[in-house]
Amino acid sequence: MDGKERKQRKHQQKHSGPKADKKKLRKQGGSTEEDGRKRNPKAFAVQSAVRMAKTFHRAQDIKAKKHHIPLVDRTPLEPPPVVVVVVGPPKVGKSTLIRCLIKNFTRQKLGDICGPVTIVSGKKRRLTFMECNNDINTMIDLAKVADLVLMLIDASFGFEMETFEFLNICQVHGFPRIMGVLTHLDSFKNNKTLRKTKKNLKHRFWTEVYQGAKLFYLSGMVYGEYQIQEVKNLGRFISVMKFRPLVWQTSHPYVLVDRMEDLTDPERVRTEPKCDRTVSLYGYLRGTNLKNKGQVHVPGVGDFQVADVNFLPDPCPLPDAQKKRALNEKERLLYAPMAGVGGVVYDKDAVYIDLPANHVNQQQEEVRPTTELVQSLIDTHATLDVKMAASKVTLFSGSATLDPADIDQQTGEKEGPREKLVWDPNTQRERRVVVFSEEGREEEEEEEEEDDDDDDDDDVDDVSGSSDGEDSDQEEEEKDEDEDEDEDNLSTFLKEARAKSERTEKNGKGSPPPVKKQKLEEKGEVPVFADSDDDLERSQEESEEKGDAGRAGDSGHCSEEDEEASDDDDEDDNDEESDDESVEEEDGAAEAAAEEQMRSESEGEEEQGALRWKDCLQQKASEAFLRQQAAAPNLRKLVYGSVAEAGDSGEDEEEELGGLFRVSRPQKSKKFTANSLDCSRFDPETSHNWDGEEMLNSIRDCFVTGKWEEGQDAATLLKEDEELYGDFEDLETGEVHKGQKEQQDDAENSEEEEEDNDEAEESLVKVDDDELQKNKRMEKKRRLKERFDAEYDDGDATYFDDLKEEMQKQAELNRAEFEDVDDEIRVQYEGFRPGMYVRLEISSLPCEFVNNFDPHYPIILGGLGSSEGNIGYLQVRLKKHRWYERILKTRDPLIMSLGWRRFQTIPLYHIEDHNGRHRLLKYTPEHMHCGASIWGPITPQGTGFLALQSVAGTKANFRIAATGVILDLDKSVTVVKKLKLIGHPYKIFKNTCFIKGMFNTVLEVAKFEGASVRTVSGVRGQIKKALSTPLGAYRATFEDRLLMSDIVFLRSWFPVTVPQLYNPVTSLLLPVGAKDGWAGMRTLGQLKYDLGIRNKPNTDSLYKPVVRGQRHFNRLHIPKELQKALPFKSKPKQQQPKGKTPRDMQRPSVIREPSERKVAALLQALTTVHNHKKKKAHTMQHTKHKEFLQQKEKQEVAKLKRQKEARKKLYRVMGQKDQKKQRSSLKGAPQDD
Amino acid sequence: MASHGLDYDGCNFFRQRLVLSTLSGKRVKIKNIRSRDDNPGLRDFEASFIRLLDKVTNGSRIEINQTGTVLFYQPGLLNGGSVEHDCNPQRSIGYYLEALLMLAPFMKNSLKATLKGVTNDPVDPTVDLLKSTALPLMKKFGIDGEGFDLKVVKRGMAPGGGGEVLFTCPVRRTIRPVQLTDPGKIKRIRGVAYSVRVSPQMANRIVESTRAVLNQFIPDIYIFTDHMKGANSGKSPGFGLTLVAETLSGSFFSAEMSSTPQGQGDPILPEDLGRNCAKLLLEEIHRGGCVDSPNQSLALLLMTLGQQDVSKVLLGPLSPYTIEFLRHIRDFFQIMFKIEVQKPLEDERKGGDKVLMTCVGVGYSNINKTLK
Repeated sequence: MDGKERKQRKHQQKHSGPKADKKKLRKQGGSTEEDGRKRNPKAFAVQSAVRMAKTFHRAQDIKAKKHHIPLVDRTPLEPPPVVVVVVGPPKVGKSTLIRCLIKNFTRQKLGDICGPVTIVSGKKRRLTFMECNNDINTMIDLAKVADLVLMLIDASFGFEMETFEFLNICQVHGFPRIMGVLTHLDSFKNNKTLRKTKKNLKHRFWTEVYQGAKLFYLSGMVYGEYQIQEVKNLGRFISVMKFRPLVWQTSHPYVLVDRMEDLTDPERVRTEPKCDRTVSLYGYLRGTNLKNKGQVHVPGVGDFQVADVNFLPDPCPLPDAQKKRALNEKERLLYAPMAGVGGVVYDKDAVYIDLPANHVNQQQEEVRPTTELVQSLIDTHATLDVKMAASKVTLFSGSATLDPADIDQQTGEKEGPREKLVWDPNTQRERRVVVFSEEGREEEEEEEEEDDDDDDDDDVDDVSGSSDGEDSDQEEEEKDEDEDEDEDNLSTFLKEARAKSERTEKNGKGSPPPVKKQKLEEKGEVPVFADSDDDLERSQEESEEKGDAGRAGDSGHCSEEDEEASDDDDEDDNDEESDDESVEEEDGAAEAAAEEQMRSESEGEEEQGALRWKDCLQQKASEAFLRQQAAAPNLRKLVYGSVAEAGDSGEDEEEELGGLFRVSRPQKSKKFTANSLDCSRFDPETSHNWDGEEMLNSIRDCFVTGKWEEGQDAATLLKEDEELYGDFEDLETGEVHKGQKEQQDDAENSEEEEEDNDEAEESLVKVDDDELQKNKRMEKKRRLKERFDAEYDDGDATYFDDLKEEMQKQAELNRAEFEDVDDEIRVQYEGFRPGMYVRLEISSLPCEFVNNFDPHYPIILGGLGSSEGNIGYLQVRLKKHRWYERILKTRDPLIMSLGWRRFQTIPLYHIEDHNGRHRLLKYTPEHMHCGASIWGPITPQGTGFLALQSVAGTKANFRIAATGVILDLDKSVTVVKKLKLIGHPYKIFKNTCFIKGMFNTVLEVAKFEGASVRTVSGVRGQIKKALSTPLGAYRATFEDRLLMSDIVFLRSWFPVTVPQLYNPVTSLLLPVGAKDGWAGMRTLGQLKYDLGIRNKPNTDSLYKPVVRGQRHFNRLHIPKELQKALPFKSKPKQQQPKGKTPRDMQRPSVIREPSERKVAALLQALTTVHNHKKKKAHTMQHTKHKEFLQQKEKQEVAKLKRQKEARKKLYRVMGQKDQKKQRSSLKGAPQDD
Repeated sequence: MASHGLDYDGCNFFRQRLVLSTLSGKRVKIKNIRSRDDNPGLRDFEASFIRLLDKVTNGSRIEINQTGTVLFYQPGLLNGGSVEHDCNPQRSIGYYLEALLMLAPFMKNSLKATLKGVTNDPVDPTVDLLKSTALPLMKKFGIDGEGFDLKVVKRGMAPGGGGEVLFTCPVRRTIRPVQLTDPGKIKRIRGVAYSVRVSPQMANRIVESTRAVLNQFIPDIYIFTDHMKGANSGKSPGFGLTLVAETLSGSFFSAEMSSTPQGQGDPILPEDLGRNCAKLLLEEIHRGGCVDSPNQSLALLLMTLGQQDVSKVLLGPLSPYTIEFLRHIRDFFQIMFKIEVQKPLEDERKGGDKVLMTCVGVGYSNINKTLK
């Protein structure tokens, strides 16, 4: 809304520099590409058609790659603050950075960063900073809600595992914007290492995020803070950053809670410390629209039904005025209730004012409220009560005025003491409840007094409400008195205070704002409604005579009555200018009251006295239409009942709506029609007489033969064309045609002038006139342009463009549809818009949530879509993370982060076979995707998830075990595992055999008749028929004869069941300081380790020492025949046993004589000597020969050398000769020749 | 963990509740079903409807107490696929088909339902009517393409039945938002005059009398005569007429009448039937809007289940069934419609008041469809 008024900055033309030069060159007709083409056409000619096609394809590919699927832009006009999550390992400077950024934007110092801190960073942007601690639970939760992540990296240390873990979490849950920030750069003394480290870190960061991702360097600390200029730059980057919508975030509403109040009755808490708590949680709504009675998931706690949602005035609003460029001091707001900074904090029915004594005060001392309104607010001396007492109200025109005192007398009720109001919201609430429960009882008891009672209550409401308003006033006054202390505080939050006080004055706080606003709006229509209501009732009276009693005594009508009555009071109290209206309305109300009284008398019964206008309204609905009495709110009431107006629909019977009236549930009061025929036909009850001409005429225009509208009638369209193109000159005849429009315009103008003359001065009229003509001209131009566009632009509009345009149109429609509707009603149609500051009330939160509350841990309320609250089987595609060092085992519990939730479940891994069968796997594959079936919350397909084995503590290793995506949701699983049934043949015929041991009964066999079986050796067969004895035996045929030793088996598939474990990780409920210690079900491995159980291995699988026995080989036996045929060489010889040498062949042994022996010895010695000599001589000869050879070689070398020299000499001479010859030949004939 | 259920009383709007429960995943408990009746509990046709619902879903839990006066339904996931169902002849197939039309686009597998029973009776919208009005309406929400068809294979009149209908519908992940605010002018009127097990002349007599009424508005009228014989003619005799008026912008108004079932009430002359049916069509045109009265709830449901965008539909006066449907939508989806009455201008002759229904869709996506 503000954006449209913003003026564009004027374009500044460059007069010097490269850009200006370029322009100048172009103006002078410098060379462009076009030019070059003309000059040198050959260079641009097509060289290769293939190449050209390739380049074209590539260009198109690149172009197409840039396209995103167009989405309808659903961002609200006033977007919620951007969630900036600051992540990093401990001691890296996260808090310091947040503190510096806050100081940079708001000029305020914040001591402890606790919970989300919201600030106004610019004219159109607010930021919510949230620090993420080192707990992986927190990292997962915050990655889901982050818009921008500031990833702090200690440069002196390098990357730590947390950084990568966080990046992987982000990848799974949609990738928010990530900006790296390097800190601790001052620890580098050497400039070169610094540069090198920066480069290394940068490139690693780029591979993780994307090439060219922004990495900031915070070079050093000054007085414990980062350098101002660097922080400023970072802040600038943050405040201009654009965000691509993430799928999960844009399809779910969520709230990052920045404030929590426990609403449980303190007495109850005292008596039962462990009782469930009612808690109201506050925060900006983000994502998408939130419906009132929806379900939310609080990560770390569980699923809850939202009891109530309200929107509150923005505690940290964007500045209204858009004139200036920078924000002034007052608009630099800071809101962090968990950190103790929030100043004035509003609730649905209370105002909390924080009077801190910290340094925030001194900081802003010089700032004083400048606006006169604020000044006046501060200077107010009379409280609202006093003013109220002075004011007077007229109920009926012409009647006496009423004083508040009178009303007080009537009611006899006094408002509660003011002092206790502000600081104790619970008692306040309680008080109100008591009042209205009484009222409710009274309502049933005495019908006649009802109206009075209502009045009373309303009065009480109003008074108490106004007193609340006063309270805030009073507070301000108090503050005024000790200004030096809280003036600054005031100034920061005066704007809200002003808004709120106005609001409270207007509304009166007893009832929730929705009711009142609604009423104010409806003033005009009330009489009509009351009228029609009567109609409905009267006919209902008749029907109710026979209708059964004892239905839920719920009074829609009563509530209306109340409403109207309270309307009056409201108006009485506050706006004087609507007096006449209120009187009108009063009449209506009075009528209705009379009506009601009459009815109650006739019925007599109290239970039935509660009006049931809704009964049989089905029949009445049509009649109401036909009577043409249906006004818009009437129809709305008809459909949704008065409940809808109040904004709440499905509350309990006992529950009062802001204490004003009770809720009625249409279906409860409808026993009359509860059991009638269920049919969608809508037969006309009061049928029109379609024989009469009048009736027939009433629908004439519905047919093409009837009259057409002004804009669509062919004749008028033709005429319009003429007008549009009327101004033309016929060139042939030279006739000039003039459009008639001008004349008409003139006529119109003159008329208007005349009218205007009566009232205004002439000069003004002239301006008007000009304006009018200008507008007309513009209109004409626009239409012409549209025609032109329609004719010529359509040609090259691609599908993508069309789609985009369609989305654009839808977005505009979305914006425009409810733009001018009041917020209170708007939230009923649309739900609560993102950007609103909402308060969600949740009953029955576990007491640990409150007792162990730690603001450092984020509380997120993630809205769930329809049926996302249910549980079923999910089929997912999963891949073990490549950095996780183990494979995952089927049936080991796994902690998953899916959607908003973190939970432990037991997956079964499986893989799809070629025929679509899901076969169970014992372990996940090492480097491959596999399927997994889990029992978990129903989540839309395509949602990513990540899995961890444990979330407790910190580990050195990478903790993310697997990632994946949801593929399918089902209520049953299709995973099977292989099962082999084994049997043995006991009788074998040719190819048939009888097999036993596979089944136990005939029935089992019957089930498997025709199934194929196989033996281990690979013979295939088929089960034929069961045999009577033995039980479970059957006849089977095989493709070959079996052996008795064969084993027959049947391969079958057995469906497995997925264990139904769904165990939410309730990390937020753990005691403070131990929140990262959540441990769920242990894995099998852990259990065995903890309990010291070791698997008994199969003894067959054990390794035993290898003992090798002695081996004996038989002799080779060659048959005699073969031996004969063998050649001699190959004939066995040695093996042949030697025959006995015959006696004649035996030689006698020689015995020597002693002399002979001597001779022999001598001879022996001589031979030895001789041998020795010979040997010696031989070696001598050998060495000599060696020497000789060496010598000879030397000589050879010398000879070669000599020869080479000689040859060289010779060649040189020859060369010279040749040269000479050549030269001489060149010169001509030699002289000396 | 599981979301809270909803409680209702009485058997009226039975289908709405179960259908919305299935789509939203909220469980529902219906109490006091004809508890004061002489013949308490669920009727056969309702039991048959539950059975049909059980066939198209997977994992739904249905509990009925002994007398049949209390029904508990915890919806499963819509499975779809090939379904064959014998509808109870107490109600016509239209009764079952209306619910299937609402569920069919949101199933896991595209639905191919064969419904057997009474195709035409005077109580429910007949199959012919749904075919000519509901299908084009659904096409506007982006549910179209191959295999979106409703075929009357055999015609079976009440009370005997014996008809057969084949309904096929593709699945969609999301539904498109629509802006149906301009009904356009009626360009043609079509119709089917059917007769089974009676003289084929009946249909011709109907056509003649109908044309006599409608011809004063528009000349482009064509009414087919459909006389089914032999195996395709069901078990009971009867005849009837379905009229459909199509506008320039593709909205359809319909009216129909069937002969009174054999052995129930006074017989009706075909001439009277034709004339009355034509008048019913005029009445429907008088009501106007972009969607005719039997399909109002279907249109509103598809608007509700659309993207988170604004959808608008101009309707004639809301039927009681639709009003209850709106309440149920609020119960199940927390969606409220903005209801604006458009009064006709002074000199306009376009029938009665219209109602402009506006809503923001819940952003429903078909969670049953498998992601490949």
